[in-house]
Amino acid sequence: MPKRAALLILALLASTPARADTTLRLVEVLSSPERTETLKELVAGYEAAHPGTHVEVTSLSWGSAFEKLATMVAAGDIPDVVEMPDRWLSLYAGNGQLEDLSAYLARWPDAQGLNERALAVARTVGDRPYMLPYGFYLRALYYNKAVFRQAGLNEPPRTLDELRADAARIAQLPGKSGYCLRGGPGGLNGWVMFGASIAGSNDFFHEDGTSTLTDPGWVAGTTWLIDLYKDGLAPRDSVNWGFNEVVAGFYTGACAMVDQDPDALIALKQRMKPEDFGVAPWPKGPNSKAYPTLGYAGWSIFKKSEHKELAWDLVVALNGPAGNLAWNKRTGALPVYTAAAHDPQYSGTIYQGWFAELADPDVVPTLMPTGLPGFAYFADSLVVRSSQQALLGQIAPLTMNKQWAAYLNKSRRKQAEGVQ
Amino acid sequence: MSRRRLALAIEPYLYTAPSLLLIIAVMLVPLLTGLSYAFHDIILLDPLSGDFIGLDHFRELLDDDGFWTALRNTVTWTATSVALQFGLGLALALLLNQAFPGRGLVQALTFLPWAVPGFLSGLAWAWLFNPVIGTLPHWLHGLGLLARPENILSDPHLALWGPIVANVWWGIPFFAITLLAALQSIPQDIYEAASIDGAGPWLRFRRITLPLLAPTIAITVMLRTVWVANFAELIVVMTKGGPADATQILSSYIFSLAFQRLDFGYASAVAAVLLVLLLAYAAAVMVLRHALTEPG
Amino acid sequence: MVRLFRYLALATFLAFALFPLFWMLKVSVTPDDLMYGEGVRLWPSRVTLVHYTDVLRRTQFPLFFRNSLIVSAATALLATAAASATGYAFSRFRFRGKAWVVGVMLVTQMFPLVIIVAPIFRLLAPLGLTNSLAGLVLVYTAFNTPFAAFLMQSFFEAVPKDLEEAAMMDGATRLGAVVRIILPLTLPGLAATGGFVFTAAWSELLFTLMLNSSAAVSTFPAGLLGFVSKFSVDFGQMMAAGVLALLPAGLFFFLIQRYLVQGLTAGAVKG
Repeated sequence: MPKRAALLILALLASTPARADTTLRLVEVLSSPERTETLKELVAGYEAAHPGTHVEVTSLSWGSAFEKLATMVAAGDIPDVVEMPDRWLSLYAGNGQLEDLSAYLARWPDAQGLNERALAVARTVGDRPYMLPYGFYLRALYYNKAVFRQAGLNEPPRTLDELRADAARIAQLPGKSGYCLRGGPGGLNGWVMFGASIAGSNDFFHEDGTSTLTDPGWVAGTTWLIDLYKDGLAPRDSVNWGFNEVVAGFYTGACAMVDQDPDALIALKQRMKPEDFGVAPWPKGPNSKAYPTLGYAGWSIFKKSEHKELAWDLVVALNGPAGNLAWNKRTGALPVYTAAAHDPQYSGTIYQGWFAELADPDVVPTLMPTGLPGFAYFADSLVVRSSQQALLGQIAPLTMNKQWAAYLNKSRRKQAEGVQ
Repeated sequence: MSRRRLALAIEPYLYTAPSLLLIIAVMLVPLLTGLSYAFHDIILLDPLSGDFIGLDHFRELLDDDGFWTALRNTVTWTATSVALQFGLGLALALLLNQAFPGRGLVQALTFLPWAVPGFLSGLAWAWLFNPVIGTLPHWLHGLGLLARPENILSDPHLALWGPIVANVWWGIPFFAITLLAALQSIPQDIYEAASIDGAGPWLRFRRITLPLLAPTIAITVMLRTVWVANFAELIVVMTKGGPADATQILSSYIFSLAFQRLDFGYASAVAAVLLVLLLAYAAAVMVLRHALTEPG
Repeated sequence: MVRLFRYLALATFLAFALFPLFWMLKVSVTPDDLMYGEGVRLWPSRVTLVHYTDVLRRTQFPLFFRNSLIVSAATALLATAAASATGYAFSRFRFRGKAWVVGVMLVTQMFPLVIIVAPIFRLLAPLGLTNSLAGLVLVYTAFNTPFAAFLMQSFFEAVPKDLEEAAMMDGATRLGAVVRIILPLTLPGLAATGGFVFTAAWSELLFTLMLNSSAAVSTFPAGLLGFVSKFSVDFGQMMAAGVLALLPAGLFFFLIQRYLVQGLTAGAVKG
């Protein structure tokens, strides 16, 4: 009898899992249906390799993701792994919410394969890697070939002077403008690209920590773009355009040139014939250099996570060389692994605009100062308001630059004093 | 007898208790918490914030151009929207209060906008105002109202009209439904008696309809005003407060303070000011309503 | 002449109400490649139902609709019931503290809800009411009850007090008199009130976004936002989902409008 009882107990023990089930919470923020599908496939692979661990995927709508995640985290409802856009990194890392990934990266063999830029942007805040980037978003110039042909132009502009001249020729066509200006939300990248390319430098600060934005070069840069608008080379209502209006303007040929990231291709291909648009490197400024902006996104682990080792394994499953390639097929972002640049995915003609930019020593990919505290407010609120005022002629370009510089100076001081 | 008295005395409280308890727990307590932020330095996600700072936020307000612009826009936005919603809603209710063939269908169709979620309404109107994907600019141009077929949402002098039109479209059914329900409750024999006494339609409207609708009008106009003043969805969707703050109202300003600056303290201070202004307005309407409904 | 003018006015109202809805319909049947190219045409040169089939088959909209229906119907029922009781008390009784009760209810309508999202989240999370439909019903009922109560009060005030007093003389309790005599007379008001609460819950966005994150408990407006990704907006599907959402709401209006037009006739009051 005791023997049978012992057997029974053994059988019971064998039938229960060796350890209690663990649930990891993963939050996606730049969600789209196709991406979420890929994410779930990667997660399924992870779950198969980690019996007993379950991953709960939450896909936030991009339009409200920022508010939502901030509210959740502030209320103590904290996920384990989160997709981290560059813009948010300083907020979460700066406030001590994210896990420093140094130790994990040190013992991870695939870290060797990451390109230098990926390792650099991972350490944006306090020189510690608070995220593992999965891809880059580099701006380039999309141009509408059909409209260009109509205006008698055969190739995209190589310099800003040419861009203005082309825009002027296109503006003579009825109902067409040259440049799709993004005067509304998300316009800061455009201001920085024109500003830096005219100024011939993408430094936002002098060595003493004061902002360069009131220097004559930057003022000339912002003035250049304001004049482009005032001279009718961008649609008049573009003063309030956000992403959708810009893209709609470009699709329809209402305006023939736009600065965009590679991921805009996904939306564009559905609506335009491939022979009707092209992607060219960002035009060069007076000093023969171009400064397209470079964005990135990656994965972070929250410090409050109770299962950090499992969370790191999940990050590796998502962002190891294989997972990363599958993921970037959906995101359209440029690769973080040196080896991936040769993948057939990036070999199409359309990607050549970006690889030409990356190969050209005179094209300087420019990182936005996203690490500054309060950057989101700067970009989404202050810049939008003041640049619209400047475009509408309510304030002078210099006044606008002064407002921006004042905010950046204050922010830089805060950063210097801040706890890191 | 005394038990019956007691029952009578507590009766009104029994009727109000369920609503009141729920409202206190789910709305009032969070509101007081939210208002207390106005006196604290509360930055979302900043572990170092949270100090009591007294009236600092309110002092900051006095010098904040963004606040004053938004306050002015709030008044224009609210007054224009509510006046048009009410005027057109009343007209629609009076039209629908008469029998005609197909009335049920017309009524249901004219009420449909109310069933469209606010932000989808904003999106649909933003499409219509966009000259690339909507017809309105071309029509307005054709009518000679616009010099060029352009997006009024991008013109700082006209932009506020975009969300106002969307809001009027969306809100007419609200007044039409309430006023129609109230109209239906007016006994017909009063009108018949007045007709026999020789009162014409206008006199009957002024002497019978308006006074009997007055309580409904007062309460709906008041609440609608309060809601519209707080209603940022259309503006956030259509213009994000731009261009150059031309359409920023207090509640959209509060939203951007809270979720772009993450400054919940300051956002709460602005909300507190809005609350006080609306309370003053509501008190005025209540006094007026009292004067209208109390006989003599 | 008067009749002609009346029909003209009604036609204008109809056109104004329906044109944006027509535009949503037009966008929802326009193929993606014509979306912008034929943006200003009244009707696209080719139409497609692919956005509708995509919404129904490839998205979770059927689930979102179901959730929205549950939440809106539950909210409409609960809020109208609570509000009828409160509105009746407001209209028939003078009692100590009445001004305070009215004041509390008014105050809850007078500030941007953004301010209380975080406190409500903190309140509901420990109770397990975030990420749940019940939590939404609770918040929506609380928010909609004050207005519904004031509205019901104004409808009760139109019903003469002597009606239930006469019934009470005949030995009925007040509650019995209210249920049997007063409520049937305020059916139009009840229908209007229920309709308002239903549509308010149907289109509410802020709380459903902030309190719920998993798709299983998403309502329809939150689902709509899912079509906005960072790099494109699927307007075709979004408008298709919007048009589909009008069906249940439109049906609801047809149902309640019977009560709205039925109304009170002199005979009904006397009868």
